[in-house]
Amino acid sequence: MAPLLQSSQPWVEKYRPRRVKDVAHQDEVVRVLTNTLETTNCPHMLFYGPPGTGKTTTALAIAHQLYGPELYKSRVLELNASDDRGINVVRTKIKNFAAVAVGSGQQGGYPCPPYKIIILDEADSMTEDAQASSLPFSDHLVVNSNALRRTMETYSKVTRFFFVCNYISRIIEPLASRCAKFRFKPLSEDIMSTRIVHICKEEGLNLDSEALSTLSSISQGDLRRAITFLQGAARLFGSSISSKDLISVSGVIPHEVVQALLAACKSGSFDSANKEINNAIAEGYPASQVLSQLFDMIVESDDFSDEQKARICRKLGESDKCLVDGADEYLQLLDACSSMMKAFCNMPEGYSNDI
Amino acid sequence: MGKRTAIVLSSDDDDDNDNDFDFDFSVKPDLNRFNNPKSKSKSKSASVPRSNPKRSKKTRISSSSSNSRSRSHPGKNVNPFDEMKLFCEDFGEGFSGFKVSAGYRRDNKELWLDKYKPCSLVELAVHKKKVEEVKVWFEERICITKDEYCNHVLLITGQPGVGKSATVHTIASHLGAIIYEWNTPTPTIWQEHIHTTNAGLRYLSKLDEFENFVERIRKYGLIPSSLTEEVRKPFIVLIDDLPVINGKLSYGRLQRCLDLLVQSVRIPTVILMTDYGRSDAADYASKCWEELQTSLQKAGACKVAFNPITGNSIVKTLSRICREEKLKITADQIDVIAKTSGGDIRHAITSLQYFNLKSDLKPISKDATYSGKVSHKIDHLDDGYSLPFGRDETLSLFHALGKFLHNKRDTENLPSCDMDSVFLKEDFTRLPMKMDTPERVLGQAHGQARPIADFLQENVLDFLHEEAMDDAWVVASYLSDADTLLTSLNGVLSRNYEAENIIQSTAASVAVRGVMFGNRHPLSSRWHAIRRPLLWQVEQSLWRNKKEMVGERSIAAYNCVNLSELSTIAIEWRPALKWLGSRVSEYNSPRKGSIGGKMVDNNCNMERSNEPCDDDEDDEIEDW
Amino acid sequence: MLWVDKYRPKTLDKVLVHDDVAQNLKKLVTEQDCPHLLFYGPPGSGKKTLIMALLRQMFGPGAEKVKVENKNWKVDAGSRTIELELTTLSSTHHVELNPSDAGFQDRYIVQEIIKEMAKNRPIDTKGKKGFKVLVLNEVDKLSREAQHSLRRTMEKYSASCRLILCCNSSSKVTEAVRSRCLNMRINAPKEDQIVKVLEFIGKKEGLQLPPGFAARIAEKSGRSLRRAILSFETCRVQQYPFTNNQVISPMDWEEYISEIASDIMKEQSPKRLFQVRGKLYELLVNCIPPEVVLKRLLYELLKKLDSELKHEVCHWAAYYEHRMRLGQKAIFHIEAFVAKFMSIYKGFLIATFG
Repeated sequence: MAPLLQSSQPWVEKYRPRRVKDVAHQDEVVRVLTNTLETTNCPHMLFYGPPGTGKTTTALAIAHQLYGPELYKSRVLELNASDDRGINVVRTKIKNFAAVAVGSGQQGGYPCPPYKIIILDEADSMTEDAQASSLPFSDHLVVNSNALRRTMETYSKVTRFFFVCNYISRIIEPLASRCAKFRFKPLSEDIMSTRIVHICKEEGLNLDSEALSTLSSISQGDLRRAITFLQGAARLFGSSISSKDLISVSGVIPHEVVQALLAACKSGSFDSANKEINNAIAEGYPASQVLSQLFDMIVESDDFSDEQKARICRKLGESDKCLVDGADEYLQLLDACSSMMKAFCNMPEGYSNDI
Repeated sequence: MGKRTAIVLSSDDDDDNDNDFDFDFSVKPDLNRFNNPKSKSKSKSASVPRSNPKRSKKTRISSSSSNSRSRSHPGKNVNPFDEMKLFCEDFGEGFSGFKVSAGYRRDNKELWLDKYKPCSLVELAVHKKKVEEVKVWFEERICITKDEYCNHVLLITGQPGVGKSATVHTIASHLGAIIYEWNTPTPTIWQEHIHTTNAGLRYLSKLDEFENFVERIRKYGLIPSSLTEEVRKPFIVLIDDLPVINGKLSYGRLQRCLDLLVQSVRIPTVILMTDYGRSDAADYASKCWEELQTSLQKAGACKVAFNPITGNSIVKTLSRICREEKLKITADQIDVIAKTSGGDIRHAITSLQYFNLKSDLKPISKDATYSGKVSHKIDHLDDGYSLPFGRDETLSLFHALGKFLHNKRDTENLPSCDMDSVFLKEDFTRLPMKMDTPERVLGQAHGQARPIADFLQENVLDFLHEEAMDDAWVVASYLSDADTLLTSLNGVLSRNYEAENIIQSTAASVAVRGVMFGNRHPLSSRWHAIRRPLLWQVEQSLWRNKKEMVGERSIAAYNCVNLSELSTIAIEWRPALKWLGSRVSEYNSPRKGSIGGKMVDNNCNMERSNEPCDDDEDDEIEDW
Repeated sequence: MLWVDKYRPKTLDKVLVHDDVAQNLKKLVTEQDCPHLLFYGPPGSGKKTLIMALLRQMFGPGAEKVKVENKNWKVDAGSRTIELELTTLSSTHHVELNPSDAGFQDRYIVQEIIKEMAKNRPIDTKGKKGFKVLVLNEVDKLSREAQHSLRRTMEKYSASCRLILCCNSSSKVTEAVRSRCLNMRINAPKEDQIVKVLEFIGKKEGLQLPPGFAARIAEKSGRSLRRAILSFETCRVQQYPFTNNQVISPMDWEEYISEIASDIMKEQSPKRLFQVRGKLYELLVNCIPPEVVLKRLLYELLKKLDSELKHEVCHWAAYYEHRMRLGQKAIFHIEAFVAKFMSIYKGFLIATFG
């Protein structure tokens, strides 16, 4: 096997902060956790917040700082969504891991507290897994989480659980109540920019200010996405990256395209809207992305009344659902745009003899 | 004979023992008759005793004790010669059991079915031409010396009860040939299997048994046993009911097995294949049978397809029975029985006997004799008696469909019951229906949601008023809903039968009620043919075309170095290649016809080969 | 050989239409390694061509020595064994397959077969390119479960195996898969680009193209280069030398649908609906995908319609197409759409003309 070249290592991994205090923008979390590290007394923890805000990074950083590189492997178990996480797998893996007792005592300058750490990444997507295997998934989650709860109680003397998830509402209450909860805020644009500029400097990339702001806006506060886009663009286009390159890598639709579609809808001409839609499809823009960008624009726009906005948003939602069901992209876009047109022209909603 | 060790199984039911035998003759040897071989030569009837429950039970017991066939006993090694001998002996027994003397004719307890088994070619209700065809085939193979013909297999297909086996038996007795029959053995039930396994017996699947049987036939032929005097008589092997197959594997085995049989057998062999009403074209099993038939024909078997028996012949037969039994049944009643039998003479005779019983029990209140399925036909009979026949689901399905499609309603609303009910807009109100609730009718017709929806979709447009476009849409939209409902459970929760049942009946109900609700301007009653859904044929040909396309793709006919998506092939490559017709040969992808022409071709072929009885499917219904 | 194949650019340098993408791809593979790739874009935009050229760039001419195999796979799925038949196209360096051919069993294909292939790494003496490339077509048609297991496969075998995924619409590929690939959007070529390609082919074949002829073909092609070249070749067969007013015939099924559309416009009655159904069956039997039929039918109908009706008609088309995805028998839903259209149109005619 050819060894993985440096270039192919994901930058997300390469530039992952190694220490808790390096984690960007989550001041409060960092303060509490630094404290915890000093006392080496750490509760079960639940990290939640939007993607790319540093949750996994924080969890890994704590583990590293507690055990150091040598003991890390034997003391920390990482489970993430890509592992097979049927209830039995979770149980046996955790059991096997937790069952071996550990001693305490400092080693190589790391505190090494007398317990192990289990990191359950993407804990809320256990539902998704269950869905994928078409089991009655709500049951599955309850079973899963309940089993986890049991496991937590059983092994709480020797293990600490770190749950990482996007939506705290998807974690059942008994589980959440046993944890110290940490909310991670979305990153602001300047924090992202600082981080990205840092990476660019390290990698020798050339990013103008326009590209920088585009990157911040298309990644919507998700630093991981921003870094992934950056790496993709760097691979494709070399060291000098423009805003256009970033957009093409990210799969975001250029503003002008969506703008043109919206303008066509506003004009009230069915045929010109139809043309724009055909164009968007031919360019290969994914319809769901078109819908979501239309949604953003309409919500932010001042030109429409609240009622019009409501009508349009409802239709966009419906169309999106149809797309998820696998409906045709062109027809759904056409339908959504035709509804938008009717809303702009204040034509009555619904159709004659609607069922 | 009869000296072999009997394996006595402690199973209570002697029938079960048969499962342990390599193969089973449907013929239950009757020892008395065997000991007195003279009697059989005189008898002219070729009735099969298996349908005589009392007798067969008795003989079964005797046979299992006196000459139990112990071949499958693992502890006992039987050399081929012994085996062969046994085989011939069995055969002899089997043969002897066939003959039933005419004296039974007057036994009142007997089923008329057996009693009036056709005993001469004239009595057969099957169409003369078909009988002649089969007879000629036999004569050619029996009377002329062997090896002159290379194919010795005849394939007879047809619905149940069209006289397939009766024809063979009658012709055999007419030609003085001996029939040697293989029937699917009684299935093994699980507990019994456990039991026999404990007793040290290996389980043989029906397919195994069949394979063994074919192997014997091929290897040894039927060597006339010196013990019997049938030396001069020709033999016919009759294979009724091929073993049930499920899955590719067993299908392959059966096919191989039959191919071998066709190629190597030296005795005239008849294979009967029953066409069950192919209710769903997508059904895997029915496709298998079709393929099996074609592969048999390819291997050289000769095929005769029996059509359902015409109403007239059934009437003739029934009248004959009536005469002999001295029944007082009017011609009208016979007519109705014949009509409702759907070309199944076996059923018609049973109905007649049953009907006769009923009339003995006069008078019976009308309600008490409602037999569900066909209750709606009652008004049709002059005397108001119920006719508890109605052969099969399909037929009464047609009637149920007729009701739904004709959408008979009262001419005016009943004012009384409407007081507390919710008021509907005028658009949504309908006059009360002139029938039971549709769900009940569905239940009586045993209608499955899928075929019901398909039939309704196929036929409903004929019943709409010419101008009523809005109605057509309402109907179509409800059918679309029904289809969506039917699919909603596919794959998911496939083991949740309860939920599936609910969805099924909901979908059926939506389809039926949607059709009735939508049809606001029904046409005045008149005769309408109910067609079999064309959709089923379409699906079949689509399935075939898809397969063909995958095949073509894998020859890389279209594209040299990559795989195209099927849809791209269909919408771009194929039409383009058609234009470039002159170069087609280069791509060895023969284009057959064009859109518009192709399907028709396919259908014709299909109908010719698979649906000889298609005209029956276009069952006509009257506005009852 | 068809022109489509004959003039398919074999290397990234010769690519005419997406030359920018091609150059970027070239840069990508010169770095010895390549990430997982996801190509998406409308049909006929050149995804396959680019992929093939890319493979050649990576492995040299050896990538073009392919064999087609119809393999039977036995997949052990817990309690039972599933038999699957799948066509694959493979060279020593890559394997191409359409996992969605397996229908609802696609999950097994992805899990087992890809796993199997990914494990068998080619032994390369030079110690270079120690990975195999799997080209998966139509990934957007894979079920969610299959896509899910695809993600696992990508992670697990990333050392020995690179995936090149190809699909029409990236919104039907889950985020998890998309985010692990470098996404390449391949847009449909613009009409002037198509004209350029046609003129190039014309020159190579030594044909005289009347001015504007290529543009007409390009216009009719709906921005699909494959269609354009196919119909160009057809025109060549039908009539040469070309004339300016030569008819560029549409695909037979398109013509047929346009016939259906005029049938519908002429008369709206249950009887006509029944006739239309018969014609729809013929299209379906010839494997024309039902959604394509519905879309084309809508296109034809919209052409002939007053703009006030268009909103409603396209709403119902979208509605019934969605139903069709949920349901099983496409004809039920197409027919409902036609019925709805007839009903709307008839109402409209009555309201307008009395």
